[in-house]
Amino acid sequence: MIVEFFFDIPALASTADMLRTWVIIISTMALALGAVNIMRVHWKYIKRREPGHWTYSICLITVFAVLTILGLINLKNPMVNPVYKWMFENVYTSLGQTLYAITGFYIFSAAYRAFRARNSDAAILLIAGCLVLLTNAPIGEVIWGQIPVIGTWVLEIGETPAMRTFLMTAAFGLLAYGFRTLIGKERGFYGEVAGGE
Amino acid sequence: MSEGIWNRMQRIDRRVLYWILFVGLMIPFIRPIGLPIAIKSSTRDLYEELRQVEEGEVAVLSISSGVSAWAECLPSMVACMKVLVQQNAKIIGWTTFIDGPLTWDKIVSLVPGLEEYTYGEDYVWFGYFAGAETGVAQLASDIRSVFTADYYGTPIDELQIMKDVNDVHDIKLVLSSDTGDACDYYIRQWHTPYGTPVAEVGIAMQGSAYMPHYRAGILFGMSVGVRGGAEMEKLINEPGNATVSMDAINISHIMLVIVVVLSNVGYIMTRGKR
Amino acid sequence: MYPTDPWGLLGLWTALLLMLMIYSYPLYKENVFYRFAEHLFIGTGLAIAVITAIQTTNKIAITPLGHGKLIYIVPILLGFAMYLLLHPDYRWVSRYPMAMLVGSAIGLGMRGVLIPFILTQVIDTITAPVGGNAMAWFNFVFIAIGTFCSVMYFLLTIEHKGAIKYPTRLGRWFIMLGLGAYFGNTVLFRMSMLAGRAQFFLQVLKIIPM
Repeated sequence: MIVEFFFDIPALASTADMLRTWVIIISTMALALGAVNIMRVHWKYIKRREPGHWTYSICLITVFAVLTILGLINLKNPMVNPVYKWMFENVYTSLGQTLYAITGFYIFSAAYRAFRARNSDAAILLIAGCLVLLTNAPIGEVIWGQIPVIGTWVLEIGETPAMRTFLMTAAFGLLAYGFRTLIGKERGFYGEVAGGE
Repeated sequence: MSEGIWNRMQRIDRRVLYWILFVGLMIPFIRPIGLPIAIKSSTRDLYEELRQVEEGEVAVLSISSGVSAWAECLPSMVACMKVLVQQNAKIIGWTTFIDGPLTWDKIVSLVPGLEEYTYGEDYVWFGYFAGAETGVAQLASDIRSVFTADYYGTPIDELQIMKDVNDVHDIKLVLSSDTGDACDYYIRQWHTPYGTPVAEVGIAMQGSAYMPHYRAGILFGMSVGVRGGAEMEKLINEPGNATVSMDAINISHIMLVIVVVLSNVGYIMTRGKR
Repeated sequence: MYPTDPWGLLGLWTALLLMLMIYSYPLYKENVFYRFAEHLFIGTGLAIAVITAIQTTNKIAITPLGHGKLIYIVPILLGFAMYLLLHPDYRWVSRYPMAMLVGSAIGLGMRGVLIPFILTQVIDTITAPVGGNAMAWFNFVFIAIGTFCSVMYFLLTIEHKGAIKYPTRLGRWFIMLGLGAYFGNTVLFRMSMLAGRAQFFLQVLKIIPM
């Protein structure tokens, strides 16, 4: 991939194309890997009658099995099946949106319990956060006309040094990690324990 | 206030806070406030650039946000689609999320202009592709190697819109709606090697994460979060769900600032006395 | 539009019920309904993932293979090899497709990150405004000094004392400013989703129109 980017060689480009297509196919097939693993785990719960787990595991596996069979029957376009479509649109969508939104509660209670200006660093973070909050909400302008002006400055200029730093340091980290991976020094993604094979 | 009250407030049950928040969020939907919304420069730039798209030029909407982020991303995506339809642009949609098809169906249902568009000629939906950055890089090289057919199974060569569209060179711009780093993929694999204009139409946090890119001219615009959606709705003069939601955002943000102030006052009042 | 057909109504009220089951956890305490809804979501999500995997694999690999592109047998076999990750004795086989995935991602990442993430950012940091007013110059100096000090803060291999003590301290303050702004945007993100759920609650109960 790297050499293909810097050298305009048709044979190299077509090989890279082929390899990328293969990676896409492998990634697509690997989508179900998580599902298989979770089914294994929950099947163990059912077999062992794990207290506090096994009844929910039955529910999980039953829903999974029913939905998968329905999807396989109309593989070309599973949404044609009314039950599949209904489950996708009403169950999955609602639960997905609700579970994601639950963090709104936690951020509220965290702001009350943990967001304290204990030192100058925390005070800067707190003030910047509140300014941005009141800029994102139009009510900030009602409280004081300059809040959106200052808040917009914080959003467009004030945060740029930090975000730019994160970008650049992450980029250097990627280059370093990538180089180490290419020379075989990093093998964590193989699932090995540090110091092992 | 006595010290006892401050100590009690520090130990308040968090469920009380959750109920206050949940009920507080409902009030502005019942009694709207309707405060005016100022437009940020990043949103205006996005809008202005979309207005420059000419008839027949092909725009890509890459959906990398799930149904969970509809409240944040959907209004901006809908507004951008409306502008593209008004410009008579051709639109290609694809997604890196398994629930992307639901989002596409929702967008299509909310953009009335698409009723005059012909599917397969003026717009097409390809559905899901895997591989993350590898998939995005391969799409730049050859779309047909990633998608052999559209989402509904029609072979790609039978789609009129794809007659002259083969790779990145045939695409005018990309709108990336994401909750993670999908826009990075388009920056690295579409914009950097080929100069394709890219814009971010995602969640609010992307406004911070991609501000350096926007300031450096890599992204031509951003419409992030429900606030960005409300700004886009104002620009296209069609108030929608994002505009309605801004009232709830007002209440929630004011409540949050109040709890932060209260918690810090309480902390100061109880700090020396422990 | 508020649905009028029985299945649509059932779907709407099921969605509301599931939402309340999930919210029973933060608003009350952990309970059977929350756990049930949680597992329902996992089961549904996994089924959709599996169907998407099979559907997409059929389109991009099986169909071309059926049309004579025999080379596609290689990625299909490698894809199946990924599942050997779950078997302790044959886990080593899955390292080959895993290596392809990681190598591709790293190669693409490394080649793409140099210009937009490093060069362009540095150029934009050090490029002075042309004919700008006082505010433009202030912003330029702010970003230049801020970026320089913030990057210096991440020099973790040397102790922050002596000549670099104060620039790194300043860098930390710039980072706090950025993180505060990021927090503000995070709150907008979380609250807008929660507001969406509150709106849905009111719409299903017909307190506000859909």
